[in-house]
Amino acid sequence: MKMSPELEHARRAMQPGAISKEGFFGQDDRPLPDIISRDEEEMSRLGLDFDEVAARLTELIRAGTSAYGSPVEYQAWRVTTEEARGSIPCPFRDGRFPKRATTIVHTTSGASLIVSDLALHLLAAHHFLQGKGAPFRLEPQAIKKVLGK
Amino acid sequence: MIVSILTAALVVAGISSALALVISLIDLVVNNYGEVRIDINDGKKNLTVKGGAPLLGTLGENGIFIPSSCGGRATCGVCKVKVLSDVGPHLPTELPFMSQKEIADNIRLSCQIKLKADIRISIPDELFAIERYRARVEKITPVTYDTEHITLALLEPSHMTYQAGQFAQLAIPPYEDVKGETIRAYSFASPPSSADKVEFIIRYVPGGLATTYVHRHLTEGQELAVIGPMGEFGLHEGHADMICIAGGSGLAPIRSILIDMHEKGIAKNSIWFFFGAVAGRDLYAVDEFHALEKAWPIFHFVPALSAPAESDKWEGETGLITQVTEKYMKEKMDAAVPKEAYLCGSPGMIDASIKVLRAGGVPDDRIYYDKFS
Repeated sequence: MKMSPELEHARRAMQPGAISKEGFFGQDDRPLPDIISRDEEEMSRLGLDFDEVAARLTELIRAGTSAYGSPVEYQAWRVTTEEARGSIPCPFRDGRFPKRATTIVHTTSGASLIVSDLALHLLAAHHFLQGKGAPFRLEPQAIKKVLGK
Repeated sequence: MIVSILTAALVVAGISSALALVISLIDLVVNNYGEVRIDINDGKKNLTVKGGAPLLGTLGENGIFIPSSCGGRATCGVCKVKVLSDVGPHLPTELPFMSQKEIADNIRLSCQIKLKADIRISIPDELFAIERYRARVEKITPVTYDTEHITLALLEPSHMTYQAGQFAQLAIPPYEDVKGETIRAYSFASPPSSADKVEFIIRYVPGGLATTYVHRHLTEGQELAVIGPMGEFGLHEGHADMICIAGGSGLAPIRSILIDMHEKGIAKNSIWFFFGAVAGRDLYAVDEFHALEKAWPIFHFVPALSAPAESDKWEGETGLITQVTEKYMKEKMDAAVPKEAYLCGSPGMIDASIKVLRAGGVPDDRIYYDKFS
């Protein structure tokens, strides 16, 4: 399948060693559009709306950021946000994001998810949850478990 | 039959070679921009260079280092310069990093400007002082489970003049999947008096191109390039109460400033250093700063843990570093004495610190910070 120049640029930027050490695909060798469309289908099947998920994750990250690395109890979750110096660009070239990773644990079920600011942007703006095995992949099933949807 | 196949293969190879030659010749003619003149800051510096290469790299080859974090891959948006001559419209690769005002002012990413004709640019004068240094890794000291204190001995040039609080860039060589050089900025942890050695405190960032190298591959004795000095963070004059707040590797520039002050006998009314960590495993340099406290009567060191583990047996201050600072400002400091503050850490910590400091009467123009951004 031939990709647009923009998608092709993003695909290259997602390779290991380009923007991040491990890259955005993990062990997933499917074409980028296929990963996106399959995850869109899976999100839909699980009753998850990209915008609603993004809004809730944004709220949780904001709660975690207030404690600069310490765990925060926020509603049904324990949220811990860790931040490093600098920022990381979106491979689709539409912004830069803090190097910030938030661990969200549902305190009742124990289900957890690590959400980077860039991963959240990729979910919200591009419906790209990253390839299977990528360090910051947002697995739809894990999103559902953690958000308790 | 075999002769026919070989002949066909040779013919195809011959045609391919001829085409490659033609393309190379066309490339030599079409992409030969000859010599190009770069006028920097209205003739303060003039360079005559071979055209065709990006402005960023060409300036670097000629000893002028524009800060950049990605090494010219148009992913960091840091290498901005003002271009005073016509080099065409902004490229799509530049636009995500530009405000409307920057576009109007023809601020450009120097890594995206290909030198095709004479060009006039404007850069801050202090960039002329930046040099690329060869250095040898003298010592790597783990200070926590994810943070290392790195000492580099400068080889060529052998000395660097910098101000406490400034930063430099480390040029991480290609490794594993990382094809090009990776450039990352780190604050000096050392005082300027150690001009032949520079120190950095570097925390591991999961997935980070540079910190993965530093923590997994860098070894004592190897060479590493340092580009610097850069930045405007540093000590300001005045006989106020000096409040320093840092978290994590944000300790580095504060350490540089405080040691420099102590060495030079620079006095303030009092100096308070609030250093925040989550648990005992994140805390470091405590003995060093307690020793400085004993040797320097105006200096007070207050480490605090926001979520100490039981095994830490922590008897010091507990709470977010902003809460601890607020408490000390109310209970230990004289409200009548003017105050100034120096902050280094995550944006969240800095934003919260600024609120606390404002509430405590520290004017905005006396709050200096080095945000992790």
